[in-house]
Amino acid sequence: MAATKTTFTRDAGLQSRMLLTMFLLGALYVAFVGVLFAAGVQGFMILLIAGGFAALQFFTSDKLALHAMGAREVTPQEAPELHSMIERLCIQADLPKPKIAVAYTEMPNAFAIGKSQKSATVCATTGIMKMLSPAELEGVMAHELAHIKNRDVMIMTIASFFASVAAMILQFGFLFGGGHGDDDDGPGFLVILLASLVVYVLSFLLMMALSRYREFSADRGAALTTGRPSALASALRKIASGMDRLPQQDLRAANEMSAFFIASPKKVVAGLFATHPPMEKRIEQLMRLEGELQTGTLAAA
Amino acid sequence: MGFLDAIMGGKKKLKAPPAADKLFAMSTAYVTLSASHGIETKGVAAIVFQPLATADFEAIVAEMEELLAGTGADTGTTISTSEDSHGYRWIILHDDDIEDLVVGVNAVSDALMVGGYGDRVLAAVFAFKDSKGKRVYFIYNYKRGHWYPFVPASGTQARDGERELQVKAMIGTELPIEPELERWFPLWGIPI
Repeated sequence: MAATKTTFTRDAGLQSRMLLTMFLLGALYVAFVGVLFAAGVQGFMILLIAGGFAALQFFTSDKLALHAMGAREVTPQEAPELHSMIERLCIQADLPKPKIAVAYTEMPNAFAIGKSQKSATVCATTGIMKMLSPAELEGVMAHELAHIKNRDVMIMTIASFFASVAAMILQFGFLFGGGHGDDDDGPGFLVILLASLVVYVLSFLLMMALSRYREFSADRGAALTTGRPSALASALRKIASGMDRLPQQDLRAANEMSAFFIASPKKVVAGLFATHPPMEKRIEQLMRLEGELQTGTLAAA
Repeated sequence: MGFLDAIMGGKKKLKAPPAADKLFAMSTAYVTLSASHGIETKGVAAIVFQPLATADFEAIVAEMEELLAGTGADTGTTISTSEDSHGYRWIILHDDDIEDLVVGVNAVSDALMVGGYGDRVLAAVFAFKDSKGKRVYFIYNYKRGHWYPFVPASGTQARDGERELQVKAMIGTELPIEPELERWFPLWGIPI
């Protein structure tokens, strides 16, 4: 039966790199929690407070993100083309329909937010809708739907939890830790501070790597949904050249959320510190998929 | 989609397509629709899919169209194709016998699946009219193996939700109806 034949094969290399990154991140965090507990009451308290903050952030981030981008939900009557395009992609990706929002800015970008598949929102800027052809825009929207399908908001929130704990401890430590003349903080606090520093630096690097892998996954997912890897590649090229020409002021509000954008709004950042893989690498991957399609090796296999 | 798939950045292939007998349920369900509720076939159905710009894909489509034309000589089914504004291709089948339509639609999806392109199929659409002459569509979602009614209303992307639910109640359990109402995706610009 033809049930196992599909348009694309899996990318085992990407999956194993992603798994290794998640394993390292997990191991790092387990060690960190160990240190916090060994340090006694202080460490435990910090963990609790940070947990509260993270939960608060998790439950309010959607509205904040939309608001920061100046985005507004649009009805099918206001944006019929966008709605019907996404409805069809949802059938193809087997997803419930997300809310659809539009941000009124010239910056060409798109992003997806939402804690679950059912509460997700995808947002496109007016800039990207003007810049791209329908097929290219479809590729970008399929990329955002792939983020929703892969639950990337949830995964990056969990991945960043202990990193933000470490960051809090560092800030807290520098503000108050050195302030007291007497030494009643004891050596325990110093250990926590040092451990936090290590965790902060390492987890930051690992999270950036994880985020890049998830971008590759979402590109792949988009190609799978639309069957048109080249359309997304072409969109990425247009976005990349378009963003270089735009003023930086537009990007202020965007930095915080860059993980879920179609393209990172930041300027060129060295490889290790980037949330998004370089455009050339992403386009290269998409062209590889297009090559697989064109030679028909997969369908004949 | 399981937990592990989500962690690993998504399934790299879609799940196996649902059994074809869910599509064929239309031939028996139509007896009820027509006899008890005055919903008659308009003698036309269509299957919509994403065309790939590759030689292999076009060869499979051409071969399948040839096959349909061949069987059409016996059954009286005629076919035509069109592309819509979203870049999807529709293969439209005309035949007054709904069973021939179901068989024809299944032949198209089957050819694509055997060729390895089953995940390109978006949906099958069957067109009906009720006793007042109003359009009623039944849409078959291949990914989920479920049917749902779709009744467009006048106005931009407006649909008659009440009528859709009435039609669902009429059909009862004779068709595998999509249980989640939010998955009753409309299809705009249906060419039949």
